[in-house]
Amino acid sequence: MGQAAATSVGLGMPNLPVAMIPGHPGVQSPEELRANVVAVTAWQVMENLLNQPDVQEMEDDPGSRDIVFRGTFEEVNDYFFEREWSDGLPIVPPTMEKIKEFLSYTDRDPNEVLGVVLPASRAVSIWAVAVNGVMAGCKPEYMPVLVALAEAMADPEYGVEHSGNTPGAETLIVLNGPIIKDLKFNYEQGALRDGFKPNTSVGRFWRLALRNIAGFLPHKTDKGSFGNTFRVVLAENEDALAKIGWPSNAADMGFETGDNTVTVSRMTSGNVIVSVTGATPEEIMPYLADSVASCTRWEIIFTVGGITYGTLRPALVLTPILAQTLARAGWSKDDVKQYLYKHARMTARRVETYTETWADFPIISLKHQVNLGKLPKDFAESDDPKRMVPIVLDPDDFMVLVSGDPLRTNAYTFAHNGYLGFPTAKKIVLPADWAERLKK
Amino acid sequence: MAENLYEVVWPCGERRQKIQPLAKRLDTLNGKKVAQLWDYLFMGDEVFATLEDELRKQYPQVEFVSWREFGNTHTVNERELLASLPQRFKDLGVDAAISAMAC
Repeated sequence: MGQAAATSVGLGMPNLPVAMIPGHPGVQSPEELRANVVAVTAWQVMENLLNQPDVQEMEDDPGSRDIVFRGTFEEVNDYFFEREWSDGLPIVPPTMEKIKEFLSYTDRDPNEVLGVVLPASRAVSIWAVAVNGVMAGCKPEYMPVLVALAEAMADPEYGVEHSGNTPGAETLIVLNGPIIKDLKFNYEQGALRDGFKPNTSVGRFWRLALRNIAGFLPHKTDKGSFGNTFRVVLAENEDALAKIGWPSNAADMGFETGDNTVTVSRMTSGNVIVSVTGATPEEIMPYLADSVASCTRWEIIFTVGGITYGTLRPALVLTPILAQTLARAGWSKDDVKQYLYKHARMTARRVETYTETWADFPIISLKHQVNLGKLPKDFAESDDPKRMVPIVLDPDDFMVLVSGDPLRTNAYTFAHNGYLGFPTAKKIVLPADWAERLKK
Repeated sequence: MAENLYEVVWPCGERRQKIQPLAKRLDTLNGKKVAQLWDYLFMGDEVFATLEDELRKQYPQVEFVSWREFGNTHTVNERELLASLPQRFKDLGVDAAISAMAC
């Protein structure tokens, strides 16, 4: 109910009437649910259909350049925290001087609007990007990365409006291109650990932008049951990729290897795959495939029609030494994806248990979906409930990345949130004087 | 030592959505057509079935356009589906709509 009320403000309908079902339908028997709907919901629905709600006004917001407060560092932080403009960590006060420094690292007009995003229906402007970049503790020269991220946030394909849903998945930002070294992003040991200013502060920027630009506020429009803290930026090890001749993630996302890009996708969970042992792909890949498959659980609904067909994009992050070992045997990145498609599988019974019994995203059966032409034949090669079926529709649906400690044989896998945070990549556009500015 | 004072700006994006007037409510449900929109979550099929029964008890001449007519409102093509609704409602003669299930 709180989310409905908060979201209706962003839609320009703060007086939109809402009817309530006591409790949660998911834990009620059909009899209990019916009794609740009869006793409460039906009457509220009738009232909502027949009684005109009072007209409401929305308070005017300050202008984007208005000075809203003057005070010490601590006072500014208290002021911002009390108004839900910060995440609880200290923010760098967004002064006009700091904002202008950030704006000097983009050739874009500060007033340019990249899109309007839900739930607050607010404009993603270059100005607002700079303000939140300052607050996150970014350096001014990170601004081109922040602008590209804002473009991804505003792209409907990503689906930022779903970022407050109850699974509470968190965005993974993947960075590619020479800008990794230009700005000193960490791409080796501890690649997903805080402690590296660009990785950490850009990751924090994303969540501050979700809060202040998109309008996701916990207990209101952000209903993640548990949620996660923000993820630091994952930069690929492009030196390792170049050595083995594998394309970077930028190329996988439709750009060129060597392009500066950001890719955002919402990941529900992640798990490390420890101590991968073997000198050949045949020895290494079974463990990796098993781990990728077992990390994906209920998320299979995004592949098989529980909510969507084929929007799942699980990720596998290989350390350079693992990628090199695979490449030494002649394996390409495509070979890895093909292997995962054939071997990162789960039983048909398990898929149907998620969709039909445990999580209530009914598809009737995998065979039914194949017969409808919605799923490929791989999903119903027999009637055996123990048959193994893919977790994606196409080998290219797996994201394969290279990063982390160059000499450790560990890997990492992420489960994905389907179309509710679909992988979306944007090119990072540098200002004309980028090279000169970096030399200073 | 005097502390630095900071003059700071508002950090949010400019709101682009103005107040939208709500549709005029109905004077009765008898003789009216009510559309059901469902996101295929949280037992909405059961809820709509019960709502139909209860609303008919009070307004026997109410008509419903089933959620089956519109399909899932929470899926890949949801933007297109939502954009198509005003015309669909006109074509179907819909007077009001119930959208569910939120959480």
